[in-house]
Amino acid sequence: MSTKLKIMVLDDEPIVCKRLQPALEKLGYEVETFTQSLEALHEIQEKTYDIIITDLKMKGIDGMRFLQEAKKQHPATEVIVITGFATLETAKESFQKGVFDFIAKPFKLSEIQEVVTRATAKIQGAKA
Amino acid sequence: MAYLLTSLKRLLERIRRSKPEAASFPGIFEQFQTLLQDHQQVMELIADLGEKSGGEYIFDRTYLIDTIKIMHTVLLRMVNSLNHIASNRYLELYTTLDRIFQPLEAELRGRLLLSDEMALVVDLQDLPLDHPELTGGKANALGRVLQSLKLPAPPGFVITTRAYRRFLESNQLEERIHAWLESWASGKLDIGQTSRQIQYSILAGLVSREVAGEIRRRTAKEGVYWAVRSSAYGEDGELSFAGLHETRLHVPPTKIISAYKEVLASLFSPGALSYRQKMGLLGEEAAMAVLCQETIVSRAAGVIQTLDLSCPGANHLVIYSSFGWGRSVAEGRATVDRFVLEKDHSNHILVREIAAKRFMVGPKPGGGEEEVPVPQEEQRHPSLSDEAIKTLVKWALHLERYFKRPQEIEWAQDESGALWLLQSRFMNISKTAMPPQEDIALVASRYQVILRDQGAVAHAGVGSGPVYQVDSEAKLSRFPEGAVLVIKYTAPWLTPVVPKAAAIIAERGSAAGHLATIAREFRVPTLVGVEGACERLPAGIKITVDTKQRMVYAGRVKELLHYELVKTPAFEETHEFRQLRRLLKRIAPLHIIDPQAVDFTPQGCESVHDVVRFIHEKAVNEVIDLPRLLKRFKGVKIFSLISDVPLDLKILDLGGGITSPQKGDRVLPEGIQSLPLKALWEGVSAPGVWSTEPVSVDFKGMMSSLTQTRAETPGASAYMGFNLAVISEFYLNLHLRLGYHLNLVDARMHPEPQHNHIYFRFVGGVTDMTRRSRRAQLLANILSKFHFKVDVKGDLVVARVLHLPQEEMQARLIVLGRLIGFTRQLDIQLKSDADIPQFMESFFQPDSQTRETPLA
Repeated sequence: MSTKLKIMVLDDEPIVCKRLQPALEKLGYEVETFTQSLEALHEIQEKTYDIIITDLKMKGIDGMRFLQEAKKQHPATEVIVITGFATLETAKESFQKGVFDFIAKPFKLSEIQEVVTRATAKIQGAKA
Repeated sequence: MAYLLTSLKRLLERIRRSKPEAASFPGIFEQFQTLLQDHQQVMELIADLGEKSGGEYIFDRTYLIDTIKIMHTVLLRMVNSLNHIASNRYLELYTTLDRIFQPLEAELRGRLLLSDEMALVVDLQDLPLDHPELTGGKANALGRVLQSLKLPAPPGFVITTRAYRRFLESNQLEERIHAWLESWASGKLDIGQTSRQIQYSILAGLVSREVAGEIRRRTAKEGVYWAVRSSAYGEDGELSFAGLHETRLHVPPTKIISAYKEVLASLFSPGALSYRQKMGLLGEEAAMAVLCQETIVSRAAGVIQTLDLSCPGANHLVIYSSFGWGRSVAEGRATVDRFVLEKDHSNHILVREIAAKRFMVGPKPGGGEEEVPVPQEEQRHPSLSDEAIKTLVKWALHLERYFKRPQEIEWAQDESGALWLLQSRFMNISKTAMPPQEDIALVASRYQVILRDQGAVAHAGVGSGPVYQVDSEAKLSRFPEGAVLVIKYTAPWLTPVVPKAAAIIAERGSAAGHLATIAREFRVPTLVGVEGACERLPAGIKITVDTKQRMVYAGRVKELLHYELVKTPAFEETHEFRQLRRLLKRIAPLHIIDPQAVDFTPQGCESVHDVVRFIHEKAVNEVIDLPRLLKRFKGVKIFSLISDVPLDLKILDLGGGITSPQKGDRVLPEGIQSLPLKALWEGVSAPGVWSTEPVSVDFKGMMSSLTQTRAETPGASAYMGFNLAVISEFYLNLHLRLGYHLNLVDARMHPEPQHNHIYFRFVGGVTDMTRRSRRAQLLANILSKFHFKVDVKGDLVVARVLHLPQEEMQARLIVLGRLIGFTRQLDIQLKSDADIPQFMESFFQPDSQTRETPLA
């Protein structure tokens, strides 16, 4: 199944990764999860993801820097920001950095699945 | 949270300085409005938290911390408002808030576990199910088997990890163990020496008097022997420590303490040490709880695996069975019988291998176990009858459905033939053992979809079975184990079938309602608010319900069921969900129901919900205390309702509840804009409801009404002669005193169903208690038919319904209006219990009540 799109999930709270992975796999994606932003940063030097789902507020390198770096390396990667209610304003800023969409935590599985599906449509439209 | 405490102190000082009688009407009016809004907000936060425990949302710790913080702030504001309205008569509530919020905040900081609140020894029947850290995985699973699934497990108790810590402390073992482990890590000691040193010092330790006393008290029974088993934290969870820790069988009461120490010591056996080292767990603190259960002297025993490891892709389960005790089966020491069965609803036996069982393990006189030969002529008899197999399969599937993982179950059959469940744990399946699975998204897409993207998720998961529709209580008792429950309403009387259901689909109801809460308790995948479900899912068809994707497939999607079982971690077992459930236990339950009860006080409040309920009740009482209100609020506009129904109703409009008052302060029913009052009034004023004919009173009823003074009826003196409705466009709070009984209706009819509720309370009456209780029973029966959750206590009826759409709330308020008229003097007429059905009938009979009941 090499046609599967690759998704990276980055959130320093493991519960988010643990639950997002099977939910997205069930939709037919290949999913890798990270709880350390530094590790994720190393990963994107070597590997291209179609979609990156990242938290904003994290220890170490924060989400905003990470997504800037990710976009610089691979402009075609679609980034979806998931963030707590308190940082919603910052999240809006991230739009200027080319973010595809953002979702406030806590969110329903169906909400993120819907955004991912839209991002997929965009990616496939661009490829076609 | 420190800032909250300081701001609280400041507030307290400010309140104490202020003069009690100074509140002005606009001030009070404003406070009351704020209080109602805050009440709503806290109720929504509670509902939100409840909803999050259903698995549809992804949340993190930050969410929990933030929500509790907001809840605390809003409650402080509510306490302030109430004290403002009630001239500081409820200052104790500040202490109540501290008492309730301190443990919540401690829980969030992870500091509650080893507090004194936690037991040293606890009975399986009372095991706190959301604390596996306290009782270990094995005992936790058994607690669930007994308490939630109600399967028969031998009675017993758990010596908790707190007792283990106490043991280490009192014997000064903690640092010594640490030092030995260090020496091992640095190569100074080998694993055998390390293990011997630690185990020896544990066996030489003394069990504290308190713990020993608790154990002796529970094992004092004559002639009972005990199984003493390890229940380490983490064991039987994601990591398998199977077989690494000790189990002692058939222990006499006098030897339990030494068996306890032996089991503790097995935490440091060479095998356990090297396993923990391999798993990278040596640095973490190990903790051992010990499970003690009465010994079952079994004629046969064995193991069930709900996944056939020799053929993991097939939909089979396997039963291993032998004579005597189960140890020989579990340890693979003997040849045993093997049965392989289909897991679908036929439970067809595919393989039946009967082995020659030469030996069995049994009790040794005086304690312990021994191997004895099986008589030649019995060796080739099956150790298990088909009937017993059937029961075991039913249990196994129930356990797998509940724990959402393939299970390995130990069972025993005693001499009388009764079956017992000894333990159930997750099967450890290595990834390589599983055949490579086809892409799950692709496979699922080959099945026919009946429903897609409909309804709200009350509990996330996947379940499959035949559809069974329940619309009456008669059908309830015939509900088949493992069927999918499909219903119109999520009525509370459905509760008994929830544990049996593979999944639930309801046309109405919300993810924060009663049934949703029960479904979560039993982990049953549940969708609510699925329009047209009853029509589209006819009885008998087999379906697969995936509430995570909000999909209903035709047939049994076995690949999906398998995927969920083997590949997806059960969210219910994650730390965050457990923490949320523990928080909810201190937040959501309502303990104080009856405002006249002695514990309806700030001290009686045990949960956040209790405090909110208390404040709301007291605030409403302050505002409806009309004589005082009128005196205090000169110039407040109170309307009088002019109507054919002889009810002296006063109306306080908070905004949007009334248009075009007639002549000054008079208002006609047509002028009512408040949706809930309008609906209620439609019921009250329906033709035939408000019979003004005097009711004939028999002698007993008459005597009783003559001897009872008004003051005997609770709350009678305060607002005698006044009936008041506090309203807004969507809100109604009505206190109605009719004769000698008091109706309270608090209702909201918002366009958004999740804001809606009806709370109805009915109390008092003119006759003796028996007759009044009879009327309460009648009311409860009628209200249950309309899907209210009803509590009856003596002559008090409390009925609640939540989160229905506006039009359904309207229909129920019309019914309440009719009921209020109907029951006005019913206690006099209800002479015996036998009269209840007849009165029920007359209420539902369209002829006698010219208007047809819309929902009956």
